[in-house]
Amino acid sequence: MYYQLINFGNEEFHAYPNKSLYWKRLNTLIVSDLHIGKSISYAKNKQFLPPYDTNEILNKIFVSLDKIKPSNLIIVGDLLHDVFSTLSLKDQDYKNLSQYMKNTDFVWIKGNHDKNIQIEGFKNFTNYKIGKFLFTHIPIKTSLFQICGHYHPKVKIVHRGKTIFKTSFVHNEKIFILPSFGIFTGGLDINSKEISDVLGKKNLKIYPVGQDKVYKL
Amino acid sequence: MNINKSNPLLLHPLNKWMKKKKWSWFPHQIETFHYVRTGSDVVVFAPTGAGKTLTGFINPIDDLIKLKKFKGLHTLYISPLKSLANDIVRNLEKPIKELDLNISFQVRTGDTTPYKKQKQKQKPPNILITTPESLALLNSYENAKEFFHNLKYIIIDEIHTFLDNKRADLLSLNIERLQTFSPNLQRIGLSATLKNKQDAKKWLCRKKPKIVSYENSVLPKIKILESKERIPWSGHMATYSINEIYKEIMKSKLTIIFVNTRAQAEYMFKNLWLINKKKLKIAVHHGSLEKNLRLKVENNLSKGLVDCVVATSSLELGLDYGDVEKIIQVGAPKGINRLLQRVGRSNHNLNTPSKAILVPTNRFEFIEAKAAIEEIKKNNLDKIDLKEGSFDVVAQHIFATACVGQFDINDLYKEIIKAYPYKKLKLNDFKQLINLIQDGGYVLKNYDQFKRIFQLRENKNIYKLVNRRETRKYRMNVGTIIENPMLKIKLGTKTLGNIEEVFIQNLSQGDSFIFAGQVLEFQSMKNNLVQVKRSKSLISKIPSYSGGRMPLSTNLANSVRALLAKNNLWDSYPNQITEWLKRQKNISKIPKKDEYLVEQFPRKKNFYTVIYTFAGWHANQTLGFLLLRGFKEFNYKPLGFVANDYAIVLWSLKEVKEIKTILNLGLLDKHLDNYLEETSIVKRLFRDNAIISCLIERRLPGMEKTGKQVLFSSDLIYTVLKKNEPDHILLKSSYEDAKKNMIDYERLREILKKIDKKIILKKLTSISPLAVPIILEINRENLSKKETDEYILEDLENEILKEANVLSIN
Repeated sequence: MYYQLINFGNEEFHAYPNKSLYWKRLNTLIVSDLHIGKSISYAKNKQFLPPYDTNEILNKIFVSLDKIKPSNLIIVGDLLHDVFSTLSLKDQDYKNLSQYMKNTDFVWIKGNHDKNIQIEGFKNFTNYKIGKFLFTHIPIKTSLFQICGHYHPKVKIVHRGKTIFKTSFVHNEKIFILPSFGIFTGGLDINSKEISDVLGKKNLKIYPVGQDKVYKL
Repeated sequence: MNINKSNPLLLHPLNKWMKKKKWSWFPHQIETFHYVRTGSDVVVFAPTGAGKTLTGFINPIDDLIKLKKFKGLHTLYISPLKSLANDIVRNLEKPIKELDLNISFQVRTGDTTPYKKQKQKQKPPNILITTPESLALLNSYENAKEFFHNLKYIIIDEIHTFLDNKRADLLSLNIERLQTFSPNLQRIGLSATLKNKQDAKKWLCRKKPKIVSYENSVLPKIKILESKERIPWSGHMATYSINEIYKEIMKSKLTIIFVNTRAQAEYMFKNLWLINKKKLKIAVHHGSLEKNLRLKVENNLSKGLVDCVVATSSLELGLDYGDVEKIIQVGAPKGINRLLQRVGRSNHNLNTPSKAILVPTNRFEFIEAKAAIEEIKKNNLDKIDLKEGSFDVVAQHIFATACVGQFDINDLYKEIIKAYPYKKLKLNDFKQLINLIQDGGYVLKNYDQFKRIFQLRENKNIYKLVNRRETRKYRMNVGTIIENPMLKIKLGTKTLGNIEEVFIQNLSQGDSFIFAGQVLEFQSMKNNLVQVKRSKSLISKIPSYSGGRMPLSTNLANSVRALLAKNNLWDSYPNQITEWLKRQKNISKIPKKDEYLVEQFPRKKNFYTVIYTFAGWHANQTLGFLLLRGFKEFNYKPLGFVANDYAIVLWSLKEVKEIKTILNLGLLDKHLDNYLEETSIVKRLFRDNAIISCLIERRLPGMEKTGKQVLFSSDLIYTVLKKNEPDHILLKSSYEDAKKNMIDYERLREILKKIDKKIILKKLTSISPLAVPIILEINRENLSKKETDEYILEDLENEILKEANVLSIN
């Protein structure tokens, strides 16, 4: 798989087109905002999306784990969409998960969507610190470098008379925001107030995710 | 029947009013009255100005007077447009008020206030004038049966506009529902003249079906603008003739200029304004303008307060503008029926001919205009193809039925297959649609506890809504018209109209564009409102609107082919056209009526293949794509193609030697699935299907999610569904829609069936005169959306890298 090399906090990260981030030095894979079971949550309101999102997301993760074989998997929040999400996890899914947990240490940082939900065998954290890096769902006030999720950033690109929106990795000097790893998850414009309030508008490094490649702007 | 013997209408309550107006009854009115009175369902075909609306009301009014103080709803009148519905009310008001008849009538559309709607439900008028969507809503209320159980007549106005689209499906299902509520219901259809009258009859009539027809003997006077200017090879804007068009406007009291797209309307208006030395009052009218702006123009038009209106199909239907003296059609007529409808907007008087001038915007259009005039002389109209019913509309109808109360699926199925578009609906497909409404109808049963409708335990055939709250969702989603994501344009606090979001996204602050006939500067976008101010900029963009591209009708296409071959007529054409055709004849060939000319020539290192199919843009676009695949297989290294209504051009690196082997029916069978897959056609139709079938909610203006996001998520749903459950009913439905409507599948099939025996292959050393127009159209990229995205990213990245290198060197 092609990856884009990203320098953040004097460390090298690999951004993959499947929207995961890999910290090679520590053999750590990072994903965010999977929103497993979003389809179930919609079904509650009688919006019947195809119920295959959970399967797709898990497969995507498993493929990555098979390929990279990381020692750690850090999920920076919103693994699950809401309390009903576990309904979409089948026995086989739990079996597969515990199989992978044998070789990879799963770190589940809680997000606003899943802060009150437990899954057996998963270790929960509100945030997680490695050296001068803090993993947290929503950035907090700190002097540490932060790696977060929550915002599902996408970038608007106007080029040669065409406009497109692309899911993106984005960071400034101190804060890194991952795109959503989920399937039915929308995006928020990097220029929106919500993201600007966190990252500011200047000196942003933006990495739009293409079909088989992560680009660098 | 001998209508001369006695005229029963002389005893009709309206006869007094007719006499006072010094009008006499038309034969078709007498005939309709007779047939309906003797229990027939009738379709009436008559041109505008022949008292069509009144014809529909003759029997209802007669009945109502005889019944004396009839309480409740007696007659339902369905109009295709809200604005027409209001107009009908005004027309009905005149005789009823003047004769002081004891008949109540009201209008009910999306514009009717909730208060008034509530009152109508409690105390219905005798005659209700409404639209198909409002009827569907009425049929979803719990008291629908009581509301309609005494209904005697349903009148469908302008029925020809309903026959070939999803609105027809919706309407047909709702008419059958009314018939169930009120078995004595009789149906009356009112239509413009059609070629296939029998089809309209089949669609509507059940009881002793009858056709009543009145043909206008006065032919319209149509001519082509005699221009001293050079008619361009290509293009669609008629800039060359603007001064001559202006002169024509000055000659007449009131002119309507019809164009084919909203962009053309804005452009034409702007150009007329630039040369408007006489300060003529010119207005513009199209479907994206705010309602009150449109109404203002319509009002001024009917009062004769303007000199000219530039309009799109928005002014095609209904409304009687008596003073319009002349119609100018700019651009190709595309179809006979359409041209006649437009021409009929002038001189609403049956005894004087309508007057129209056609302005071709390029050379092929000149031939097309000429052909259209010939066909009108022969009264050779286009056929309207009835469509087979779409699945998504059934799903919506099931939902509506559940909103009324519990229902038996067998009864519902029996009722649905009475509707003409659904005669062939399979029970199995219907059951899948029930499941679709129940819980999405997926193989993976994740939603058992979240169902929308459920089977009763004691009777598995009976379904019921889980929660009455769902009725609200149905009502938000009703209808079959899905628009592209639109944004409102605000000038100060005044709303000017709607513009496609895609267009606005490509604008930067300070860019100017033309809308509603004004040059506007884009300031900002907030909460789906586009704020603009007036601008004096001379450079401005014109918003385009996707969709709605009218393909050349098969009928007119055949006529164009026939006319092209008649070289004895060439000398009567303008010099430049004659020269063009003569040179074509010398250098290459003019194809005969049933021949398919294929020209091949080298040009700028590439090899060109031009195929003249005259199949219309949709079919040609499809064929171009299929040929691209075929060429790839033969390793000709094709680079791209462009299609228009008349022809396709493909260019490749290598010489295409086996065109006759490639161009046949096998091509379609082999590559069609790929075509649907790779282009976004099915994906786009899936969005419509998902919204119409209420799988995802329609976002109305002002709701938090914008249309763009619906598009975005329906794309995802499509991708996930396709991968996991390719046999899902909505995928099947979208695929069928694509085959039927979007790509002119049948038309292409017919052509490819016989094409291989009729190809005339011409190997040329350079471009032919006939090929020039389409070669000039080569300027767009021929990449799919996916590829385009990657290309844009790649390109942008490279540019930035270059910039970075330059900076680092410095």
